[in-house]
Amino acid sequence: MLLRLRNLFAGVWLTFMVAMGAHAQSAVVIVSSDDGAAYGAAAQALVQELERGGISRYSILRMKASEWRDARPQPPRLYVTLGTEAADLLARLVPGAPVLCALLPRNSFEAILLHTGRKVSSQFSALFLDQPAQRQFQLIRLAFPAARRVGVLWGPDAAKDGGDWRTQAQAAGFQLVDAEVGKQELLFPALKQVLDGTDLLLAVPSPQVYNSHTIQNILLTSFRANVPMMAFSPAYVRAGALLAVYVTPSQVGVQAAQLARAVLEGKTLPASGVYSNDFHISVNEHVAHSLDLALDEQDLSRRLRQREALP
Amino acid sequence: MIVRGIRNRMLTAAMLPVGFVVLLLIAAFLFIGRGDNEETHGQRARSLARQLAASSEYGLFSGNVTHLQGLARAVMREPVLRSVVIVNSRGEVMASAGQVGYKMPAHLSPAEALEQDPRRGTDLLLQPIVVEQLALNDLFEGRTSTPLVQAQVLGHVLLEVSNERLHQRQRELLLLSVALGLAGLLLGGLLALRLGQRVIQPVARVSRLIERIGRGEFAARAELIADDPMRDLQQALNRMAESLESGRDEMERRIAQATQELRERKEEAELATLAKSRFLAAASHDLRQPTHALGLFVARLGQLTHDAYARDLIANMDRAVQAMRDLLDALLDISRLDAGTIPIHVHAFALSDVFDQLKTELTLAAADRGLSLRVRPCQAWLMSDPVQIHRILLNLLNNSMRYTNEGAVLLACRLKDGGKRAWIEVWDTGIGIAPEHQAAVFKEFYQVDNLSRERGKGLGLGLNIVQRTAQLLGHRLELWSCPGKGSRFRIEVPLTVPGATMDRRGTVRKESPDDLAGLLVHVIEDDGLARAALVNLLLSWGVRVAQSSSLALALDQVQQGLQSDLIISDYRLPDNQNGIEAVRLLRLAAQKEIPACLISGNTDPELMQAARQAGLTLMHKPVRPAKLRSLMGRLAKRA
Repeated sequence: MLLRLRNLFAGVWLTFMVAMGAHAQSAVVIVSSDDGAAYGAAAQALVQELERGGISRYSILRMKASEWRDARPQPPRLYVTLGTEAADLLARLVPGAPVLCALLPRNSFEAILLHTGRKVSSQFSALFLDQPAQRQFQLIRLAFPAARRVGVLWGPDAAKDGGDWRTQAQAAGFQLVDAEVGKQELLFPALKQVLDGTDLLLAVPSPQVYNSHTIQNILLTSFRANVPMMAFSPAYVRAGALLAVYVTPSQVGVQAAQLARAVLEGKTLPASGVYSNDFHISVNEHVAHSLDLALDEQDLSRRLRQREALP
Repeated sequence: MIVRGIRNRMLTAAMLPVGFVVLLLIAAFLFIGRGDNEETHGQRARSLARQLAASSEYGLFSGNVTHLQGLARAVMREPVLRSVVIVNSRGEVMASAGQVGYKMPAHLSPAEALEQDPRRGTDLLLQPIVVEQLALNDLFEGRTSTPLVQAQVLGHVLLEVSNERLHQRQRELLLLSVALGLAGLLLGGLLALRLGQRVIQPVARVSRLIERIGRGEFAARAELIADDPMRDLQQALNRMAESLESGRDEMERRIAQATQELRERKEEAELATLAKSRFLAAASHDLRQPTHALGLFVARLGQLTHDAYARDLIANMDRAVQAMRDLLDALLDISRLDAGTIPIHVHAFALSDVFDQLKTELTLAAADRGLSLRVRPCQAWLMSDPVQIHRILLNLLNNSMRYTNEGAVLLACRLKDGGKRAWIEVWDTGIGIAPEHQAAVFKEFYQVDNLSRERGKGLGLGLNIVQRTAQLLGHRLELWSCPGKGSRFRIEVPLTVPGATMDRRGTVRKESPDDLAGLLVHVIEDDGLARAALVNLLLSWGVRVAQSSSLALALDQVQQGLQSDLIISDYRLPDNQNGIEAVRLLRLAAQKEIPACLISGNTDPELMQAARQAGLTLMHKPVRPAKLRSLMGRLAKRA
């Protein structure tokens, strides 16, 4: 009953806002794929940051992707999409305003571009969830000073980045040991190959390789091979990865607001996708203890920030 | 017996529900136990399969055959397993242990499955090895991500589970159930017996008590026990025994009192009877003496020469004396029958002798009454006592003549039963007897229509004597009569062949008067009148007579040389002596077995008995001259 009332109220509010939009153009429309906690946190941080920059709350419209699809309000000055589904929807429907895609991995954005035929530009740009390779190698160096060989397992959609990564690794003083898991191929042989003689397994986002069905066995295999894993999300740390460096939804919201404010101030979006400036590091104390390692989240975070000259 | 019956019933009553409950419990125990066993067995097998599947996930993921083989071998240590097989998603056997006794299924179900093989007693458990999913809830796993190519099912675990152990456990369970059931029944039975004893013992005590009371032991009392369930009943029985005891004592007291009273009455009655007997004996004796003498005198008088008138008077006197004699004879017969002293001598005899004698005795009397006595000749021989037959027929004929005013009286014999039996019949044309009197005429002193006791019609004893004598002989007596037309009495007597041993003892023969002539008879009689009459009569028969009034005088005469041929002694003699003693002493004094007979007015049965024992014939006064003469003749002949 309460849920119905709430939906009714939301509907009335939306109609009101759309009617208002007919007279005054919204500054920013935030389209969320979902109303989950991560999306909520990112949107909230975005709105707060915009308000802090002097943008009225009433010129910011928040809606879910499905609502936007049904209502199709007058185009604002900027669309900010949160999540892959919202980005995909706006990529296909060409809304008539610049779109900043946030809170999605790089390979998902590239996949959207691929199947919608759009190009990345100042009209359709992205803020990736992924961490830049350089930051990750820096962190590896801080956490494992003695590490030399870093293993990476590519899915079919990420293998093309191999060269770039290899260069970055060499720049950081590591030898990259990588392997590709092709479609319909078994994961284990490639994994075994990557783990053989490496000091660390570096996970890069690829749903083909790293997903909820595979993560357990990958972690188990790496653990048995006595090779710790550095992952790209706190969920992997909870599942058994030693540590992860990642951007939080709030951090994404703040950075997206900064980019939006620039657009509202007359600038354009970056012509190519950008990585997050800020980051967060999580360490699984149990795994560290099992591997007889002493890692401290705060210390690592502080030292990495120092290297990147972040506040 | 009662106790055993109660015990059996109690045992049955207790054991039926116990048995029923035990059976129910066994059934429930078996049902639940079997279910539990099967469930445990199944759960254990499924649990093994699931654990093995979970453990095999990584082995299959990594293709580690050694690891999988190790797992298979480890699981195979479970005794219930026949074989363990791990196959991958392509159906290739990665590891196996034990003897595989089934054909590998072509298609392996992605869900858990169970195939039973009752012939081999095994179950085949199919457990898919599924990749365990770890929820990441990660922003990197978007919907637009490439679909997963990793198969959900990595392979299968096939466990071949033996049911042998399950069956063994089921058998053990069954045995245990049966053992428990039997133990329960045994315990129930023992309890029932034990409890039954506590009931039966009081019942047995009460039963024994009732038996004792039933036997008349009214002093028996139940011992009252505090917690006895039958305490109230035993108390009631005790009270009952007390009241029975007091009741019996009271009754015994009353019976003793009543018995005492009866005894006193009986003694009084006996004293009265004794007094009557003494009176009758005395009166009879005293009557017989003068009657005896009178009879003898009249007989003597009749032998003298008289004119016609005097003869008529003497004849009337003789009839009067005869009637008096008959009365006294009848009384004598009755007293003999009462005493049971009538001797019975059954033997073969010719009925014609008896008929002839009766004809002789009664023809004259019949003629006097204007009647015709007809005796039909008969050649039959009978098996009976002729004396008693004579007495019966004499009484019957006298009775018929007495109640027949005109016409005839007929005595006849008729054979029956093909010559085995005979009816001796007495017919008359008399007044007859009305049917209502026919049963009563045989009673003592009963006479139809003779309220005035007319002496010419007798005393009313004749038919009573006839009936009692016939009973004594065992002969049937019948009466047929029609009032106004006449009567017929008849007696049934067994016949015998002619010429059988003939004993005429007891038959009365007619003696010749000449037999006695010259005989010396010693008469001992204290009564002078009777002695004079007897002596006169004897002298008239040509007999020589010596007379004594007492034994002492008689002995004097013997010592003085008297040698008599016959002694006739009165029984009662002076100086408290009797005829039997007198005869013995006289015979002793004469040193000779002199024939003797006794005459007495005393009809005491004891006297008759004593005379018979002494071998002496006792004649009762008044003696009929003819009888006396006949007896004297026989005694003289024996001498």
